[in-house]
Amino acid sequence: MPPPPTDFDAIVVGSGMTGGWAAKELTELGLRTLVLEAGRPISPEQDYVEHKPRWEMPFRGLGDRRATAERQAIQSKSVSFDELSHVFWTDDVKNPYSTPADRPFYWFRARQVGGKSIIWGRAVYRWSDLDFEANLRDGIAVDWPIRYADIAPWYDHVERFIGVSGQKEGLAHLPDGEFLPPMALNCAEQHVRQRMQERFGRERLLTIGRVANLTVNHNGRAACHYCGPCQRGCITRSYFSSVNATLPAAHATGRLTLRPFSIVRSLIYDRRTNRVTGVRIIDAQTKAEREYTARVVFLCASALESARILLNSGVANSSGQVGRNIMDHIKWGGASGEFDGWTDRREIGERPNGIYVPRFRNVTSRHPDFIRGYGFQGAADRSGWEAALRAPGIGREYKAQLSQLGPWTMSFWGYGEMLPREANRATLHPTLVDAWGIPSLHIDCRWSDNDLAIHRDMNITAAELLEAAGATHIEPNTNGPSTPGGSNHEMGTARMGRDARTSVLNGWNQTWDVPNLFVTDGAAMTSSGCQNPSLTYMALTARACHYAVDKLKRGEL
Amino acid sequence: MNRRELMQWLVATAGLSAVETLAPADLLAFGRDVHRRATPDAARRSLTAHAEQTVTLAAERILPATDTPGATDAGVTPFIEKMLSDWHTPEERARFLAGLQDLDARCRSRSSRDFVDCSEADQMAVLNALDAEATARRDHWFGRLKYLTVYGYCTSEVGQRALGLWPQPWRYDGCAPLDAPPTH
Repeated sequence: MPPPPTDFDAIVVGSGMTGGWAAKELTELGLRTLVLEAGRPISPEQDYVEHKPRWEMPFRGLGDRRATAERQAIQSKSVSFDELSHVFWTDDVKNPYSTPADRPFYWFRARQVGGKSIIWGRAVYRWSDLDFEANLRDGIAVDWPIRYADIAPWYDHVERFIGVSGQKEGLAHLPDGEFLPPMALNCAEQHVRQRMQERFGRERLLTIGRVANLTVNHNGRAACHYCGPCQRGCITRSYFSSVNATLPAAHATGRLTLRPFSIVRSLIYDRRTNRVTGVRIIDAQTKAEREYTARVVFLCASALESARILLNSGVANSSGQVGRNIMDHIKWGGASGEFDGWTDRREIGERPNGIYVPRFRNVTSRHPDFIRGYGFQGAADRSGWEAALRAPGIGREYKAQLSQLGPWTMSFWGYGEMLPREANRATLHPTLVDAWGIPSLHIDCRWSDNDLAIHRDMNITAAELLEAAGATHIEPNTNGPSTPGGSNHEMGTARMGRDARTSVLNGWNQTWDVPNLFVTDGAAMTSSGCQNPSLTYMALTARACHYAVDKLKRGEL
Repeated sequence: MNRRELMQWLVATAGLSAVETLAPADLLAFGRDVHRRATPDAARRSLTAHAEQTVTLAAERILPATDTPGATDAGVTPFIEKMLSDWHTPEERARFLAGLQDLDARCRSRSSRDFVDCSEADQMAVLNALDAEATARRDHWFGRLKYLTVYGYCTSEVGQRALGLWPQPWRYDGCAPLDAPPTH
């Protein structure tokens, strides 16, 4: 048997949200493509466990507290980390990083085929020129090198393939997409939408969340069956992940080679030609080093991991911007309130989706305390037996409470835009290495005054929305701001721009310094918007792939 | 609910109505018997045989079998044993076990008998007093017993079925009548 090939047309580092897209586009455009994934392979039939009932879990869903404290103290802060889904996050002991003692940063990481696309929140929102023009308008950081018109066809392209359910609302600053039928609002949410419309017109609008969960069969994947815990996988492939959709499409071309357990230590750079010629990897199981070569390399390893690879390689950083401008979304501001009505109604099934209130601050008016804005996510529901856990009483009457439902309760929680600042920065740690001897990151990141002002405003306006809807017992959220990184929307560490001196990537996600090197994950983001970012990462990736292949065919890479 | 599940349900509830007619002492014996079958000695790591009986009976008093199954039927005690052994800290476990001794002490001061051997009226009086204390003070050991009992019940197969949470409906209706059947 001949040895497995080591030379390819393209190498993609990472197999998650953007790596899967790069794999699909590059192979479909004719390139023999090697996808390198640091983690293990995933077999849906074995690894997806979304239908496992509570009583089959040793801790019934409370998680293995001791193992979590020992090995996943950071990863467990993610909202979709649970007793079963914990296997889709990394081991914090094998993958250390540091922060200043008084400035924690949550770096959520997923190493397996599919990456974080298995455990993402699936919310997909387009950006608009309100976002792409923001830095220019405010004189902050650098201007995006693209506008909505540049990316809109690629949003179409991605949405058509992944399947997005949602409601068209005709908002200029949250453009509609190519939606599958929307999921339903429940009784209380319909009421709140109606009352908000009466009070705020179209300025503050409640719509059903736009999610990459199928409401009808689509591209060979089945409609959602509303079982609930998407973060544990989906045997019917009803939500988008690279395992469920893009990697199978890439595989179908016959041009994909997927190599799991392949940790990229660095890029191989040829000074003479000013090109990367390939990558050096460490086999995660044997720790053996190997090299793979290709004509073009795409970094899709996640924002901080791609920055780490660039820093460990010492390439594409003539601007000094690699690792800088870390952004996330600030969250946990909001409020909840109760409603007296619809006591004879309840939800049936688990809708894997909530509501969305598109940004309304600094859209048509100017807020005195901050620039940019936030959107609300949220949901209404009725509490079940969990409410009885802390209720007084024992015996027959107490037990009857377990099957009673609480009042309809509506909650809003905001996701706020974080400004790009050079001081929010990841650097190579001078001594700390991971379990494979690869230098780790030191991450220094904090909220700015503007970010915190956005967070404070969330509590106020969420209460206004509930008040307009006639809610009672309105309670603002008492959690302070989230920890940076906590929204799992980290981005910005190799930003796009218009000038090689102040940005890492040009308008095609191509590094200014090395023409055949592309970075298309969250690292590319020039500002953070307030929308969940994955859709934009995917659209940028597909766009960059078509550009790169076009250039390759012309001999210009 | 399909036919097979309905049959299982009928079998299960037929057994339960018999349980309801038992006198307290018989109920305890029944509970001990059920428990002997459920938890071999080798599986007991945090609870002594006496503590296990105490937990089983206290859990059954918190969530008694009625027209739906109770804590014993739902296997709450093995869950509590598991949590004490593998989830809680040594300090939390020690406080819980000390609490069980306090439970016996309170019963002995009333009737010179341990909790498991005193009258149902005394058991309820002592548990109600502890519940009032735990309601006022969040870190009370009884709060942990009650939490584990209710959580263990509601996440068991018996409990999930009794509460209509299993089988899953596999559809979504955001505004269904309260008495709508969960499945098609």
